[in-house]
Amino acid sequence: MTEIRICHLYPKEMNIYGDRGNIAVLQMRLQWRGHSSSITPVGLGDDFNPNIFDLCYLGGGQDRDQMIVANDLEKKSSGFLSAAMDGVVFLWVCGGIQLAGTGYTSSDGRRIPGVGILDLDTSAGDDRLIGDLVLNAELEGETRRVVGYENHAGRTFLGPDATPLGSVLEGYGNNGEDKTEGAVQRRVIGTYMHGPLLPKNPWLADRLLEWAIEHNTGQTTTLSPLDDSLENFAWEVAISRAGMKR
Amino acid sequence: MRHFALFLAKTAGRFSRVLGRGGGTSLPGMILMKLRPRTFHEMVQELEEGVVVISATNGKTTTARMVGNAARESGALYVANTSGANLASGIVTALLGKTPDEKLGIFEVDEAALPDLIPELQPTVLVLMNLFRDQLDRYGELESTIQKWKEMIQSLPETTKLIVNADDPALAFLGSQHQNVEFFGIERTRYGSETIPHAADSLHCQHCDSALQFQQITIGHLGLWKCQHCGKQRPEPSFAGTNINLNGLNGSEFTVTSQPSTTSLHIPIAGLHNVYNALAAFAACTTLGISTAHILKGLSTITAAFGRNEVVNFGDVELLMLLAKNPAGANQNLRTLLLAEEKINLAVLLNDRTADGKDVSWIWDVDYEMIFNRIASLTISGDRAYDLALRFHYSGFPTTNMHIAPSVKELLKHLKGSVKAGERAVILPTYTAMLDLRSELSKMGATHSFWEEK
Repeated sequence: MTEIRICHLYPKEMNIYGDRGNIAVLQMRLQWRGHSSSITPVGLGDDFNPNIFDLCYLGGGQDRDQMIVANDLEKKSSGFLSAAMDGVVFLWVCGGIQLAGTGYTSSDGRRIPGVGILDLDTSAGDDRLIGDLVLNAELEGETRRVVGYENHAGRTFLGPDATPLGSVLEGYGNNGEDKTEGAVQRRVIGTYMHGPLLPKNPWLADRLLEWAIEHNTGQTTTLSPLDDSLENFAWEVAISRAGMKR
Repeated sequence: MRHFALFLAKTAGRFSRVLGRGGGTSLPGMILMKLRPRTFHEMVQELEEGVVVISATNGKTTTARMVGNAARESGALYVANTSGANLASGIVTALLGKTPDEKLGIFEVDEAALPDLIPELQPTVLVLMNLFRDQLDRYGELESTIQKWKEMIQSLPETTKLIVNADDPALAFLGSQHQNVEFFGIERTRYGSETIPHAADSLHCQHCDSALQFQQITIGHLGLWKCQHCGKQRPEPSFAGTNINLNGLNGSEFTVTSQPSTTSLHIPIAGLHNVYNALAAFAACTTLGISTAHILKGLSTITAAFGRNEVVNFGDVELLMLLAKNPAGANQNLRTLLLAEEKINLAVLLNDRTADGKDVSWIWDVDYEMIFNRIASLTISGDRAYDLALRFHYSGFPTTNMHIAPSVKELLKHLKGSVKAGERAVILPTYTAMLDLRSELSKMGATHSFWEEK
């Protein structure tokens, strides 16, 4: 029985793609295994203490809100860097992946700094990349098909220290050019995939939770399997809606 | 040429209906716009008594219907796109069916299509009711719609009377930039709340970007707002809703304070959102010169538009359909259901077709939890039924109490078998799921087709 400490960053501003669903999945999949969890919202003007969390979530927002958040993140960025070095798990989705990198150049040439926990950089494209997204995701030697939805104007390119979360089978991914999607570096994951991401991809949720438990207890763990039949049906439907055969 | 183009377009509409292909509520307009686009403008010119245009994320169909009902009471003959086809093609199709003595136009217009249609329609009255996040894959971010509306209002002729919801901070700010404007809104009410719901939008001041303060929240981000930083605040509404009493699912009573008079009225359709709709319609009708007596008659006899608060008798079971196509609308429907003191047989349908939005992540922004302890039975259906099932599953709703119906036919069969005679089932469908359901019901003779909507 472990209490996993989850930090939900800017839930008021960055919540545009059903981000609450990712938090619910993390919380319930812990609860169903007899673990408890705490969700701490951290918002504009709040202090971020890197030492009291096992997992840190940031979702997507409107451009206007993302600007407001970027300014606030700058004041907290050293906290994020030390947390990432310490093995804290990060899942930063959509606007989140952009803010996790070195920065974002907007269409009018303004430069918005990121917190630098992922080696990647983003600039705005002319149009939005919108639609179903299917990946061949690879994490610690395991390969799975991950499905969701993307809607972003940013074009993200990875530097040498970040590895893609997966290769794009359907959709655009990081930039619509190099077939990469998302980024992994230490235990920081950034991705454009919402839908939200975790309800239909419980495998990924469980990897994140095992990492978070390891951060909390200092010991590696394997979570017991759950009945994921609803999750698998939803995954199958989403894969076929994306125009792919299973 | 005009006659020939009109003939071709109308004929296509008749064929479409005969073939059962969706009633032809848009096709004739599409054809006419290809053959002779100028005809659109010419037909609008014939509307000598004026053009009312209504736009919003939620409530446009019902409000247009309310304005139409009051206009009819006053003896005005009008043309309207009553079947919900609210792009240019749908409006042109409605105009094609116009008789020579119909001199008033009442149109609901899609919020993204609105800026391009304003120069064509040259409205006498433009009603802007609300903007909530909706179908992000199609409309984009809410903020980009707000920016397009801002430019539209800046180039609006002085002769157009703008009627704006004072309680929507972004719209009220934009509206106050136009000289010829009046506001409607809801004053302090016991149905208001002080807490901003999850995933509310427009919480920052359009003028200075600071966080807005709310004394009261009615729906989503609508309420009594003020920016502490720059002092911008909700404008004083000239049509204010007071003394609101929501009478369960049966309707509402309230008072419209509009100097120098106050008017008490009853509307037979439920929920605070319909109070907003009625206030908007009241303001629009007053501007058109319709007498208060005729407005009252029109509003008190309003019936629900198809799929919106619509009741269909299905054998021994009463079906109440509440269109739920975005978080703000779905939450408002759930809150309305809480007004009834009964356990609910609930069916939720989620489709992801173009008209619904292909991105289904919005269901996680709906607060279904508020009615969990009122659910007697839960049936889930639609193209993305399993996504909905996960939404309930991860909120702790027991999967053993959930029935998943693979089609609307199966859904109706299940409701017939599981809901007791004389009881009600409440259905929350997305737009195309609602059309599917109504089509199945009209095949069975339980309701009319949507293109027969009056």
